[in-house]
Amino acid sequence: MATRFLGVFLSTLLMTLPVSANLDQVVIEPQLERRDITEADIDSENFEVALFAGQVSVEDFSSGVLVGASLTYHVSENLFAEMAYGQAEAGQTSYEILSGGAQFLTDEERQYRYYDLAIGYKFNGEVFVSQGRALNSDFYFMLGGGNTDFAADSHFTLVLGAGYRLLLTDYLALRLDARDRIFSSELIGEQKETHNMQYTLGVSLFF
Amino acid sequence: MKWLLVCCIVILGLASARADILEVTVVEPYVDMHSGPASEYPVFHIIEQGQSVAVLKTRTGWYKVRTAKGIEGWIVADDLVMAEIAPGQTVALPEYRFEDYQQRTFEFGVYTGRLDNSNSLSVSAAWAMTQNIVAEVSATQALGEYAENQLWLVRVQHFIFPKWRLSPYMTLGFGQIRTTPDTTLIQGGGESRTSDLMEVGLGARYYLLRNFSARLEYKRLTALTARDDLEELNQWQLGFSVFF
Repeated sequence: MATRFLGVFLSTLLMTLPVSANLDQVVIEPQLERRDITEADIDSENFEVALFAGQVSVEDFSSGVLVGASLTYHVSENLFAEMAYGQAEAGQTSYEILSGGAQFLTDEERQYRYYDLAIGYKFNGEVFVSQGRALNSDFYFMLGGGNTDFAADSHFTLVLGAGYRLLLTDYLALRLDARDRIFSSELIGEQKETHNMQYTLGVSLFF
Repeated sequence: MKWLLVCCIVILGLASARADILEVTVVEPYVDMHSGPASEYPVFHIIEQGQSVAVLKTRTGWYKVRTAKGIEGWIVADDLVMAEIAPGQTVALPEYRFEDYQQRTFEFGVYTGRLDNSNSLSVSAAWAMTQNIVAEVSATQALGEYAENQLWLVRVQHFIFPKWRLSPYMTLGFGQIRTTPDTTLIQGGGESRTSDLMEVGLGARYYLLRNFSARLEYKRLTALTARDDLEELNQWQLGFSVFF
């Protein structure tokens, strides 16, 4: 009787052993340690600085050479925000040219300067330069607002734009940009919305 | 000659010490390597389980990596977070979350809106003193048909429920406004005048993603002009801000 009792006891003990071993395995938490990586550990390149030059057509005032700079922050793989500054010297109105000498604006007033802030959405793509070699690129649309100083006056300006960015390396890019800067002006008598088209070519660096 | 060798070793040692590139090992069955930092770029290589890669740089949630064979490409942040630095040790990336927003110190914003009948553009810099109270300075340019207004404000914002993703707030502030009449319409009237300004406002901010939030606010501005009557201005603005 005693041996049978011992046998039952031992077999019960044996049966519980693997179960308790199993339980142990469940209870043990995986020692997954997370090491915080700081910004300094990985070089981040979300900012882009660009210098550009091109032509701007100032409505009613012929066209001029435009130079400028911009700073871009890439928010996500498709969205970015851009601050830009540019300046140009506008030309003469057709009236000034035809009348021969009548000056509508002084040289200082002919300075066309702007700054603006815009949001852009880009469509990523590639350009196949040759067989087996591709460069990353993107095409983007922009919408923004800003200020234009022209003819000794400041104008609130709506900015519509599109552009193309060709990345020669990860951090160096060529940019081709077109913008329409729209502002209301009463310079030549009547109040009207002026469209000032510009196209520029630029070089940019990511950092 | 010996000196040169020692110098070389020291320089090499310094160079390797400085270039402590992060190395991670893939623990997932495989990781897709894209040709560019966006999901649209094609997958051109697969990093297998157990392979190590060096993390070179990051751009908007994507990480450029190099395999032992020298193949370079971009992997998404979610895959890097799964990889191990050492056995049992994973990467915790410095990505901002809503919890970080509540612990923010500085915040910078840009806004666009209407100040009475003119369009306005504003920039702001803020310092979060506590979770509820934020001190802010802002500058606004409003370009109207007849005049240009420039104003600056020092203001205190009180967030009633800072732990809400969409959180209302109240503001109180003071500053100055400078009004310059339009020169083309008012001949010789380019003289500007400056007045003190008081502000009360209401607004709401919404946490968007990473370190971005959006904000909509209404302000009632009282200009203490030299004339007998006070000038009341209404300003609406919408914009977004980035925090650090």
